[in-house]
Amino acid sequence: MSVLEQTAVELRRAAGEARERWRTPAWLALAALAIAAAIPFLSLPGVRVDALADTAYLALAATALGLTVGSAGLPSLGTGAFMAIGAFTSALLVARSGWPLEPAVLAGTAAALVAGVISGGVVRLQRAFVAVSTWLLAWLVWLFLLAFPSVSGGSQGLILPPRSLLGLDATPTVHFEVALALTALMALAVAAVRRGAPGLELSALRQAPALATSLGVRLAWRRLGAFSATAAVAGLAGGLSVQLQAVADPVSYDPFLSFKLLVAVLLGGAAATLGPAAGVIVLGLIELAAGPLARALQLPLERFDTAVAALLLVFVLAFGGQGVLPWALRRLRPETPPQRRPARPPPSEPGPNEPVLRATGLRKAYGGVIAVDDFSLELRRGETAALIGPNGSGKTTALRLISGAEPADAGAIEMDGVEVTLAPTAERVRLGIARTLQATAAFRELTALEDVLVGRAVRRRHGGLVRSALATPNARREQEASETAALEALAIVGLSTAADVPTPELTTSQQRLVALAAALATEPQVLLVDEVAAGAGPEELGLVADAIDRIRERGIAVLVVEHNMRLVRRVADRVLVLGAGTVLAEGSAAEVASSGVVRQAYLGTARL
Amino acid sequence: MRRLALLLAALALLAAGCGKGSSSDEAGRLVIAVDVPVTGSPYVAQTIRQGVELATSNLNGGGGVRVGSKSYLIKVKLYDNHLSARTAVEDARRAIDAGAAAIVTDGTGVDATWQLAKQAGVSIAITHDGGTGLVDAEARPNVFRIAPTNHGIAFRYAEYLIPKKLKVALLSDDSGYGREGAADIGRAFASNPEAVALKLTLPAGQTDLTPQILRARRSGATALLVWGQPPTIASALSASRSIGWQVPVYTPPTGSDPFIRQQLADHPEWVDGLTFAGGRLTAEVGTGPFVNFQSQYEATYGADPVGVKNSEGQAIVQPPEFAMYSYDFVHVLLAAITHADSIEPGKITAALDQVTTQGANGDERGFNEHNHEGVVDDDVYFARFHDMTYQPVQDDPLSATLPLIPQTRSQ
Repeated sequence: MSVLEQTAVELRRAAGEARERWRTPAWLALAALAIAAAIPFLSLPGVRVDALADTAYLALAATALGLTVGSAGLPSLGTGAFMAIGAFTSALLVARSGWPLEPAVLAGTAAALVAGVISGGVVRLQRAFVAVSTWLLAWLVWLFLLAFPSVSGGSQGLILPPRSLLGLDATPTVHFEVALALTALMALAVAAVRRGAPGLELSALRQAPALATSLGVRLAWRRLGAFSATAAVAGLAGGLSVQLQAVADPVSYDPFLSFKLLVAVLLGGAAATLGPAAGVIVLGLIELAAGPLARALQLPLERFDTAVAALLLVFVLAFGGQGVLPWALRRLRPETPPQRRPARPPPSEPGPNEPVLRATGLRKAYGGVIAVDDFSLELRRGETAALIGPNGSGKTTALRLISGAEPADAGAIEMDGVEVTLAPTAERVRLGIARTLQATAAFRELTALEDVLVGRAVRRRHGGLVRSALATPNARREQEASETAALEALAIVGLSTAADVPTPELTTSQQRLVALAAALATEPQVLLVDEVAAGAGPEELGLVADAIDRIRERGIAVLVVEHNMRLVRRVADRVLVLGAGTVLAEGSAAEVASSGVVRQAYLGTARL
Repeated sequence: MRRLALLLAALALLAAGCGKGSSSDEAGRLVIAVDVPVTGSPYVAQTIRQGVELATSNLNGGGGVRVGSKSYLIKVKLYDNHLSARTAVEDARRAIDAGAAAIVTDGTGVDATWQLAKQAGVSIAITHDGGTGLVDAEARPNVFRIAPTNHGIAFRYAEYLIPKKLKVALLSDDSGYGREGAADIGRAFASNPEAVALKLTLPAGQTDLTPQILRARRSGATALLVWGQPPTIASALSASRSIGWQVPVYTPPTGSDPFIRQQLADHPEWVDGLTFAGGRLTAEVGTGPFVNFQSQYEATYGADPVGVKNSEGQAIVQPPEFAMYSYDFVHVLLAAITHADSIEPGKITAALDQVTTQGANGDERGFNEHNHEGVVDDDVYFARFHDMTYQPVQDDPLSATLPLIPQTRSQ
């Protein structure tokens, strides 16, 4: 098949997928876009095309910010700074070096991207500190511009000579159409990212970072991607809008621009792709109304519109914080879950019963407290081992050391012959070590299927931000394959009919099975299961045990940390008893139960 | 519901782009746009606007301007540029959309607006800022000026100050006005570097300039030449006097702005000795024409109060210098319209090179293809403040011949 034929097939496939997803909101968005595009040609009285174009560039930056705020959950207050960096980089290149507009704008975009990457360390911080840090960034950039008039042109700014844009006279109308097209493309890209792997992983990181990280999602990498992409798009918007304004004026990039963008995103709805653009329009309306209102109330005009917007934002947050657009869309279209045929577990292909994980002499101390000491373990494919011991005996710590959640002070871990002692969690997950968490951890905004899809993070090859935004054929194929694998994982744990049920609506035991399925979706060779049966009744215990058995049948080595001895007796081929961080005894459940050492140190006089 | 949503989306998008009420030209009316810093420099804005309105009200009272068989009344549209080049660009776009025949401005943002205006054939008239780079008859054929030029002021200052053997600290603020002035004053003093103690850029809008003034004093300066907006000059005066430095301070025409005297009203002695350069108000024909203009102006708008009193309790008023320039431009513009016999902006702009009128002070005002300056370069005088009013200095040959313009009114 030639490249052209292949492209045609992919385009037809993409069109088909788009048709399947096309719903009322998409029609509305398309209609709004068409109306907006026609406005400059209607010669409507009172309509200022340059103000419209300026608003559209703000909408472009805000739409990109929606990815950082809505998906990644980072309340960035520095987007205006990236707009300023893009604006002044392109302005300097156009005004001082005589560059054409397009390469100058690309350079501005690149400068903002670099600034985003450099300042991207903030993504590791807690949300409140992200807001504070990015707010400081906005101030720093602005103060820099004021302090260096040779760069910013002083209080008058840099005057830009007129340039053509895409071969056309860069009139406000051309700018408006370009800004509108870019905003629409950006919205499509954000929608694609949200539907794809990066959106899911960002969402998972926002809801339960520890759980997402345990499934191999790289927190810093994903968040940095979203933050930097937002910075780059803000730089693009800044570089283009400054040409429209004909003057790069530092005053236009004060920190309140960043505040305004964040308010627009929250007001319109950070979770909706077009929410931020809607928020910008709402702010535009507020600006229009603010002047007459301020005069009527005899209040100072300065920042009055910002004050009104902030007040409105308080109301939005007080009533759930979802924003205007999601609220409106819910009234237009009640959400109906997709109809899906339940998947079947794939046939199991157990491998040879050979050792797969070997931990030797692991040690971990917290100050003077030794949690794990000289802990050694070997797991074979298709084997289920149980790690038991009293509270504080070091069971969970041992699991954390093996999974990479914490570094060991001493000892070595080998996975399938590969030394992984120093490897980070994501790398261990990639090599086949998966872990479920002790607590009932679930992503509160995801369905069971989406929850499990998070576990596919380390198996993706085409799930990057750019590929997802462009919805490349490989990315789409991989997404389909991931969904199939996730549905199969749900089937293995016995939840094939619950794929589209929001995880919080499932029972506690079902949520633990979802966690098992998510870990299974990482395609592990070793599965570390931490207290999966805590609080489960007899019937639920049976379901969990069946699920573990089915997992083991697939040749996966399972290590269960458990207090529930019924489950241990049911699933474990081998039991290790841990006391004060050291393995006290090892053998079958019956052997361990009859061990005097164990009785003495752990069981007392009770019977297993 | 879907229709309602569509309607709302359309309305919202429309509303987001709505302006503050600019509208297209009405039939039979010719629009002159006035783009001035109403909120940035109120006195300059008011005096320029009133000069335009005085001229247009006179002309409208006489039936308007006749083009072909039709008479046009003149409508003045006011825009506030906030002393911001970016806002000036927005204003220029609105003025062009409103069908303006010309834009009268203080000079803010002309570097950014002239090309927009040129594309629409609209002329720009600067009536305050004397920046040399702003006007170039060949490169910027649609930009005209009736105001003293920085070039003229700078060279007049050089020939006035250098013989006094002063060591001058050349201070300018970083506004467009300040930067343009700094370039011109630098060129004027270039051949006499021994007369310059220091060159320093001041941040426009900074209220405390004490560090910069102390630095000027440390440089050994015996005079300050402060080129900037009125607030900068007031701050520089305040800083120098508050540290007890009675250094002579020289300024461009912004030194006569009432803002400075208002700002220093509690210390009238700090204003004493402040010297500014300005365009000569009276012509060689004497004070008569200007006094007539001033009377007409004050009859219409009242005298422009400075807002301070002298030591005898008399209220101080400001002579309508910049009003005269904008008044004169409207007359030149109307002569051009008549000459072009058209209201097409492009034809009017071309005709501005062909006409001459008599200005309010009796001087000739007009332009040609090679010169778009309406005030002769060296027609600059110096005046010094005493007791809140100014009078021409006596140690400059041209200034010494000029009469005193009355600036007090009895209560």
